[in-house]
Amino acid sequence: VTGLRLVAVNLLGVVEHPGVTTPYRVDRNGHSYVPAGDGGIVLGLELGDSAFGLVADHAAPGACLVHPDPASRHALAGYACIGNQVRVRTGAAAGAAGAVIGKRGEEGRVIVGLAQDDLARMRPGDEVAVRACGQGLRPPGLPADVTIMNLDPGLLPLLPVDLGAGALVTAGVRMVAPSRLAGNGIGRPAVAWDLDLQLPGPGAEGGADVALGDLVAVAGIDARYNMGYRRDWVTVGVVGHGASPQPGHGPGITPILTGPASALRPVPDAAGHAGLTAAMLKLQ
Amino acid sequence: MKVMSNAAILVRQVLAGEVWPALSDRHAYRVGPDGQPFLLPGMGGVTLGVHCGDPATGYASDHLEPGASVRHRDPAANMALQFLTCVGNQVRVASGPAAGSVGHVIGQHAYVLADFAEAQAADLTAGDAVTVVATGQGLALAGHPAIVVKNLDPGLLAAMPGGTGADGRLEVHVAARIPAEAIGAGAGMASEYANTDLMGAYQGLGEDLSLGLEGLRIGDIVAMADSDHRFGRGYRDGYLAIGVISTGQCMLFGHGPGPSTLMSGPAGAFRLVDDPGANLASWLHPEPAAAGPAAGPAVSAGEPR
Repeated sequence: VTGLRLVAVNLLGVVEHPGVTTPYRVDRNGHSYVPAGDGGIVLGLELGDSAFGLVADHAAPGACLVHPDPASRHALAGYACIGNQVRVRTGAAAGAAGAVIGKRGEEGRVIVGLAQDDLARMRPGDEVAVRACGQGLRPPGLPADVTIMNLDPGLLPLLPVDLGAGALVTAGVRMVAPSRLAGNGIGRPAVAWDLDLQLPGPGAEGGADVALGDLVAVAGIDARYNMGYRRDWVTVGVVGHGASPQPGHGPGITPILTGPASALRPVPDAAGHAGLTAAMLKLQ
Repeated sequence: MKVMSNAAILVRQVLAGEVWPALSDRHAYRVGPDGQPFLLPGMGGVTLGVHCGDPATGYASDHLEPGASVRHRDPAANMALQFLTCVGNQVRVASGPAAGSVGHVIGQHAYVLADFAEAQAADLTAGDAVTVVATGQGLALAGHPAIVVKNLDPGLLAAMPGGTGADGRLEVHVAARIPAEAIGAGAGMASEYANTDLMGAYQGLGEDLSLGLEGLRIGDIVAMADSDHRFGRGYRDGYLAIGVISTGQCMLFGHGPGPSTLMSGPAGAFRLVDDPGANLASWLHPEPAAAGPAAGPAVSAGEPR
């Protein structure tokens, strides 16, 4: 709805502790592995780093927030938007500021970026306030059939997105992936779940590299509600976590734009693209 | 020739479950492809009037689960039931007015799905106990080392046409071929749990959603292109996954009629034969639907051989 003001809601997130029920998962080649970096606090990984650079499973650049009550946790994942301000409330890093980088699905996780020295002082269980704002955003001049989601209104002007003059939105992206590479996240709500892309990654199979924070487009995916296949449609998202050895998984995008190809055009730049950066979020 | 397997050394295990109720919450509605709210039956309980051989789509339904939807009350026992039960396993009703009725497993969908003849299904309801004779996990095909078999009762394998060809490839009869673009919810999950929803089969919901899959039938054997289900479910260029359509019509976007996985391997290890009769109704359903394909010899999957 155009013309209505957005509300901001202060939510409480709790820094996650990784959870496993068995030490081993099975990778796409049938080998067992121990999943490191899947949730919780990951150190030394930042926006701009390769999504394929670590021996890790779904590693995200910062801390993952959850909530012990399942409904509160879904609300946290659904309302938090990329660029929202967060502030650490308890623990050794109390007072530190950061920002939302993305989200993950299933039970719901919000990925927040903080300065590395703040992250190093944090521990699972620390409380983090999230100033959630952005769902419902509909900037003036946005073409009628293009939808924006999961995006703080203050971040939109900083991203390589041009709303155009009401007819065509363009978005600078690292790459455009075909919908057949979309994995976990298909059939799930785009406001509360990311979309894993089964990208081969650089190296063996000759794939392209993708960095955390990159904007990536998927051709043939409609993400207005649940995510699914629709011909001549485009979804653009921000890469929020890295690759996974599991079949059907991979670097995950948090959707921010979706619309028909006639009104939303991704402009790929494999070498020069710059997406969401730590500087934009004032994380240094 | 018929494919040789290790069926003789598989164990048979008696598992218990109960027909599980349909579930909802006080918000009632879910949303379709264009945001349209809907409340439609089909998942849980006993869904009547749709059996193997019947169209999978064309119903006012969501996540249509033909026949009885079965779980176990204990979470760990339930996972064992979901993982160990295989397509073609015998299901016997153990309580209620339908006690003694025998049906067969047609797939998994976070429920074990058991199809019964309509007259028997009509006497079944939530809470009725059922007994599953689980056998099939661990099934391996001699001479086809690249192919991994999942969720397949050896009795059903024996009844299916095809087998080891003169060139060494495994001949499999399929009723439909599925493009990789159709793979929806279920990607990234274990191959022994639930199924792979297929998009592009939303009858009446828009041409731009169609991938030409509106003709699928419950029980159809299908081949999914560029799908590797050997160790979970994911995209892999040049691989195939063979499945059986165990669920039908969906309104929920990104979901649709779903195949439960039966086998997977490199495409070059298979020889696909397009065969409209490649449907469970041809081989094990006790009373094939009148409109369905011609019935083949009945087999009693899960019985001693």
